[in-house]
Amino acid sequence: MNRRNFLVHFVRLFFAGLFAAVCSVIFYIFPSTGRPKSIRYFYLMEEDDLPRKGVRKIDFEYSGEDRTMASRVYLSASDSGLIAFSAVCTHLGCFINWDHNKKEFLCPCHGGRYNAKGRVTAGPPPAPLTELPLEIKDGKVYIGMKI
Amino acid sequence: MGKLFDWADKKFGIKEPHKRFLKRPLPENVGYSYCFGGIAFVYFLLLAFSGMLLTLYYVPSEKEAYKSILMITEELTLGWLVRGLHKWSATLLIVFILLHTVRVFVSKAYRPPRELNWMAGVIGLTFALGSGFTGYLLPWDQKAYWATEVGTSMLGTLPFLGGYIKSLLRGGSDVDGSTLIRFYSMHVIYLPALISLILWAHFHMVKRRGIAKNL
Amino acid sequence: MKEKKFYPDYLAEIIFVSLIALELLVVIALLYPPPVGRQIDLTKSFQPLPEWYFLWIYQLIRYFPGNSIFVGAVIVPALALVALLLIPFVDKGENGRQKASVIFFGLFLIVAALTLLSQL
Repeated sequence: MNRRNFLVHFVRLFFAGLFAAVCSVIFYIFPSTGRPKSIRYFYLMEEDDLPRKGVRKIDFEYSGEDRTMASRVYLSASDSGLIAFSAVCTHLGCFINWDHNKKEFLCPCHGGRYNAKGRVTAGPPPAPLTELPLEIKDGKVYIGMKI
Repeated sequence: MGKLFDWADKKFGIKEPHKRFLKRPLPENVGYSYCFGGIAFVYFLLLAFSGMLLTLYYVPSEKEAYKSILMITEELTLGWLVRGLHKWSATLLIVFILLHTVRVFVSKAYRPPRELNWMAGVIGLTFALGSGFTGYLLPWDQKAYWATEVGTSMLGTLPFLGGYIKSLLRGGSDVDGSTLIRFYSMHVIYLPALISLILWAHFHMVKRRGIAKNL
Repeated sequence: MKEKKFYPDYLAEIIFVSLIALELLVVIALLYPPPVGRQIDLTKSFQPLPEWYFLWIYQLIRYFPGNSIFVGAVIVPALALVALLLIPFVDKGENGRQKASVIFFGLFLIVAALTLLSQL
């Protein structure tokens, strides 16, 4: 190996090392995803309290990993059955409100609107409201959330 | 100058290399609009100083952040003023960067040989906006939380890369304590360091190329 | 042309202007101390407004519904930035200055108009 070859190899090695270092840093700064999210069920309310008609807001608490968390869901009852919606707007993650007069869900952030079935009626949201599964056992209602 | 300065000058060599810079002639018709950039720099220094004061009491954790902001504002002597100075110099910094940009454009100072300095300025503005965005989360109140939720979701809507960028910014899938510490780190270490570097290059190029004469 | 020296002519003026800037800041900070917001509550809906210099993006995303959100949220602001960055290279040739002026003041006017619209 002559000197010129050695230098060429050395420069290559240097850049390979640099590339590896950059890659390692990128892997390092990406957060660990932790355990994959799965659906877990939490106690919501008594079966007798379920709304028969219309939309009702439910604020409830559940125990997260290390402390109590609060969350909000909407129950929408009609002739075709009962649906539970997450209160998170599918646009950019704000919480929606139910407008009693207009019979619509309204997102305060960018003006998205959904009807009582969760479909988008106006504004920028790309998808209908997320439906959450409900489970009724021994007269108690449980709601499934991905956490 | 004084003896102490002469002694330090002997060790560091401050005077001689800067003589040309200090004694350099400037065109007569440089008006006060040429001060906008300098004023922006004054606000940058004040931001750095008031920010350093705030870090003495602010705690970047999910449980403590809001409490420490309340403590700074309500209990600490003059804490409300330091916070006010920090917040308002950020606003004034952006205002004067924008005014400076208009002045540079109007006086055609972006033209060669100063095109690289224009680009350095635009990148500096971007970093300043980034500092504003990351600083907005730090009080950890309703406004901070939801603005960050929306802001990071916006980047998350980008096809292909969006999801990665979002989790990179949030330090996880949701806005929580790891987002707070990430934004804090960006706000007090990475962005100020980058801005200082950009400013150094910016001023260096002004020194080398001189001030554009208003034509 | 008569010429002034940076030191001491301009340095004195710079220090004077810096002091004015500092005083402006202190007066504003004394008159309008920033309030502390409410504690995070994940059961309340809240309309967050960004800082005033991001209001134009806030207004912009209203015009891009459905699957085109990213255009308003990322692409358009990024393009605006690139346009600003490339202004020295647009200003070339005969009508360079005019083209650059259209881009620069166009961007400024659009951003200002969107910011005003978001306040209506």
